[in-house]
Amino acid sequence: MLPYEEKERVVAFIHLEAQLADEARYDEWEALWSDQANYWVPRRDGLDPATQVSHINDNRARIATRVAQLKTGYRYSQEPASPMRRLVSNIEIEPLDESGYRVASNFLLLELAVQSTNDLHLWGGRVTHELERAGNELKMRSKKVVLVNGDEPIPNLAFLI
Amino acid sequence: MNSVKEGIDFSELIQDDRIHGSLYTDADIYNEELTRIFYNGWVFVGHDSEIPESGDWVRRNIGEQPVLMIRDKTGQVQVLMNRCTHRGNLLFTNKAGNDHHLLCPYHGWVFDADGTLLDTPEAGGYGKQFNKPDFNIPKVNHVDSYRGFVFACAAEEAITLAEHLGDAAQLLDRVADMSPSGEIELSGGWLQHRFKANWKMLPENDTDGYHVASTHQSFVMATSSQAPDYVGEDSLPQVRDWGNGHTEIDFTPGYRKVDKTFEWYGRLSESKVPDYIAAMEQRYGKEEARKKLVDGPPHAIIFPNLFLAEMNIVYYYPVAPDECVQVYTPLYLKGAPELNKRTIRQTEGAVGPAAFLLADDVTIAERTQIGLRAHGSDWLDLSRGVDREEVDKDGHPVSHLSDETSNRAFWNHYKAVMNQ
Repeated sequence: MLPYEEKERVVAFIHLEAQLADEARYDEWEALWSDQANYWVPRRDGLDPATQVSHINDNRARIATRVAQLKTGYRYSQEPASPMRRLVSNIEIEPLDESGYRVASNFLLLELAVQSTNDLHLWGGRVTHELERAGNELKMRSKKVVLVNGDEPIPNLAFLI
Repeated sequence: MNSVKEGIDFSELIQDDRIHGSLYTDADIYNEELTRIFYNGWVFVGHDSEIPESGDWVRRNIGEQPVLMIRDKTGQVQVLMNRCTHRGNLLFTNKAGNDHHLLCPYHGWVFDADGTLLDTPEAGGYGKQFNKPDFNIPKVNHVDSYRGFVFACAAEEAITLAEHLGDAAQLLDRVADMSPSGEIELSGGWLQHRFKANWKMLPENDTDGYHVASTHQSFVMATSSQAPDYVGEDSLPQVRDWGNGHTEIDFTPGYRKVDKTFEWYGRLSESKVPDYIAAMEQRYGKEEARKKLVDGPPHAIIFPNLFLAEMNIVYYYPVAPDECVQVYTPLYLKGAPELNKRTIRQTEGAVGPAAFLLADDVTIAERTQIGLRAHGSDWLDLSRGVDREEVDKDGHPVSHLSDETSNRAFWNHYKAVMNQ
């Protein structure tokens, strides 16, 4: 069993990551990543990312590009940023390597497309975070988001999912 | 074919240098488009490489109609209505599969992969008047392919695919000839993107060079793309009207002036893909291979629904007057694994709902759809470049990349089809 305080720390990280994404706090969100990173949104679970095209399959450099584009003020698909709130639940934590964690969770996200239609979009899926310790902090090594509807026609996914 | 609904005068709505906003919003016009463009004209359905084996099928839409592109036991590609002839049930709900028999789950009718009705359970219940061949699944009348690109036309009498493509067949040659085997392989899966906008904004925007600097300026600011060097007042690339509604942004005049390979591929260094270059030289010879690697693949629309988007293959279909879906797959070249593993990452960066380019095009299209509800100025201007348009050596109108020659070409052909 994970010590209670350690579990609370991991859960707090997951909640913080969700909050920074919801609030378009791009720099703070980017700072959660470790130097080696993979931000991955496959079309569905079980596909090989080497050959099957994904919605997002960013390495650390492309995460930086994604954030830089969002910050230009001209990323029209997120200008202004979608008001968002996500609920995170069903959190499962397992140890990974020496000092890291693999954290699985479900999410439900409300996104308001204020850039164009003002439609309210409902997103949901299963997220797997891989976290590592960096000194006294936790950092994200990977985030995989399997959307319920990722292999269907979906609206813009230009925000941080 | 039904006659044009009374009261719609397409020659009035589509003028040489402007079009009427109702073309994007009117439900009667939309229904007429489904009939004339999608249900009686040639449309792109898929690629041979998606269904290599007998029994392989993929689900597709022709206009709003669900269809199956399936390879029958003789190896022929058929396009069948995805509907049981008994009581109308959708035969397949998955995206793709392999089935030698098509089984309807409702009452258990079974069809061959070419649509022939094979079995009706408890057949004794059908009387003497029941004629089995009457219940074969309807096929789209004309199915033909060029360089593996499969097109279908449901009209009873149709022009040939070759006539529909005309000179624009060269664009499909340019795509396939980027491959050291001369063949492409669309096996990377499709990203699907929903637009709350009229479908015609896609072919218009896909070969509109004018919007790049504004709509995509965040991409230009955040990346080291070659694109900004090839758009702008003094740039050499041109838009071209290939006839029959096929249009292109031709970047090659710019790339040829720079005379470097892979400008079109984000200035990829030759040292990263030695096997691909060697394979290209082996097939085409050194000089011809270099020319292909300087020019790159086309950026073009094949009317009405196929977008040859450089290293991506893209198509789209209408859902409603104010809604459509566009889908994307990486352009994999058969025999070029070294390049393909890079291409998939480029596709993910460029196109799809989360990528750095197309998401912004969607937002602009959706904003246009809403803007069109405002009246007073009911026309959309298409006059850019009318005074500086030229004709190239093959007789095709061309103009500066930022000119609306491509959009006028789309609408001229649209008008001809709708007035037929």
